[in-house]
Amino acid sequence: MKKKIFAVTVAMAMATMMLSGCGSSSQSKASEAVPSEAPASEAASTEAAAPDAGEATGETLIVGTNAAFPPFEYVGDDGQPDGFDVALIKAIGEKIGANVEVQDMEFDSLVSSIGNKIDMAIAGMTVTEERKNMVDFSEPYYEAVQSVIIPKDAAISSAEDLKGAAIGTQLGTTGNFLAEDIEGASVSTYNKGVDAVNDLINGRVDCVIIDKNPAEVFGAQFADKLTVLPGSQFDFEVENYAIALPKGNTELADKVNAALADLKADGTYDKLVSEYIDGATEK
Amino acid sequence: MTITERFNAAFVAGDRYKLYISGLGITLEIALFAAILGVVIGTILALMKLSTKEDGKPTVFYYIATVYVDIIRGTPSVLQLLIMWFIVMASSNNGILVASLSFGLNSAAYVSEIVRGGILAVDKGQMEAGRSLGLSKAQTMQYIVLPQAMKNVIPPLGNEFITLIKETAIVGYVSLADLTRVANQVASRTYDAFMPLIGAAVIYFVVIKILTLILGNIERRMRKSDNR
Repeated sequence: MKKKIFAVTVAMAMATMMLSGCGSSSQSKASEAVPSEAPASEAASTEAAAPDAGEATGETLIVGTNAAFPPFEYVGDDGQPDGFDVALIKAIGEKIGANVEVQDMEFDSLVSSIGNKIDMAIAGMTVTEERKNMVDFSEPYYEAVQSVIIPKDAAISSAEDLKGAAIGTQLGTTGNFLAEDIEGASVSTYNKGVDAVNDLINGRVDCVIIDKNPAEVFGAQFADKLTVLPGSQFDFEVENYAIALPKGNTELADKVNAALADLKADGTYDKLVSEYIDGATEK
Repeated sequence: MTITERFNAAFVAGDRYKLYISGLGITLEIALFAAILGVVIGTILALMKLSTKEDGKPTVFYYIATVYVDIIRGTPSVLQLLIMWFIVMASSNNGILVASLSFGLNSAAYVSEIVRGGILAVDKGQMEAGRSLGLSKAQTMQYIVLPQAMKNVIPPLGNEFITLIKETAIVGYVSLADLTRVANQVASRTYDAFMPLIGAAVIYFVVIKILTLILGNIERRMRKSDNR
């Protein structure tokens, strides 16, 4: 009996610790992440005098992304996240005088991590009403639409054909939500778009619904096996990509929006588009 | 959002609780098939590992089983699953089958060590006694050694099954909607990870607690004959 009482007490104590731990971390939010990073980055700038990091004010922005969404983000040859979004957020960081640290994570945990583990997220993320409940968005920086990837000889050409189909998607993406609303469709969710595409090639799913640009990259890679159909053929709506920001942090949002407008005005934005996005689908 | 609203969003809205039930079903289905496969193949592997020639040297079966166990134990199970899914059985449409096979072949390696240990724990004199009474090696194994080994093997085998249930949580990697994956899906829909993840953890815990009680009961029954 004594043992039992002891066990229950320990269990309760642990539960209380867990709950209180959660509470405090969600309250302190980004304020916690910034100061803890600051000493490290200061030390780095005094010691090594980083060559091209600019005169960082000591502020470090931790930006979450999901580096499995070419050409917007992917893991580059050096093992670091690279791509249009990564280049864009680094340019924005330079404009607002902050160090940008890009962190690769699962797409479906990005939104819930903003404000506690990361300061913002750039991941080809579409502005949706549901997401707006949890985070604020910057001005849109890119317009996209979902595409449908099918095997070369498949008879899928309209919204009607998608009903009852086996559809592969990436977990937590707009393509995932869109597929779930299709009548009778059985939806498989993958951590990465390329896994869905592999299963399409293996014949486990009938089609893959994913954003236009990654779809074209995958389509180009497996040009002998797959065809990419435009979303307009299926009456998919046009979506806007934006940077997800902590809810209510208008100061940061204003800075990011101003930097974004600057980059569009001075031609940097167009340069990045032609370098990363147009370049990716040509090869 | 209040706790009640978060609870509703995670479990009630859009009949989401049904997702958890079907997720748990897939988890248990894979674990059960894998456990059966694991016990059958694992026992065979254990006997292969114990097989000796007339002169007491290990047979070729010993080496085959040893290499198999080494490979399985030396690679992460999530990699084995991905290899099974994307390479070995790439043409199979039956996801549960592929996952069960992958986990079953994995579990077999561990079960073989459990069974081998159980057989070795039976006193050597039992085999000698059987042999001196005129039974063949196989007969002694079947009628005298294995039944006694069974009793040694049940507790660690139950432990292996419990490990297996939890290990199946990685099938989300290959798009199977098990309990963990379902929790992730709901979290990605509601943007609130707390309720789905804690909920899934509680479900795992309850299922495994029930299983522990059942296994304890079986163990106790098997020990009944010990008390004379």
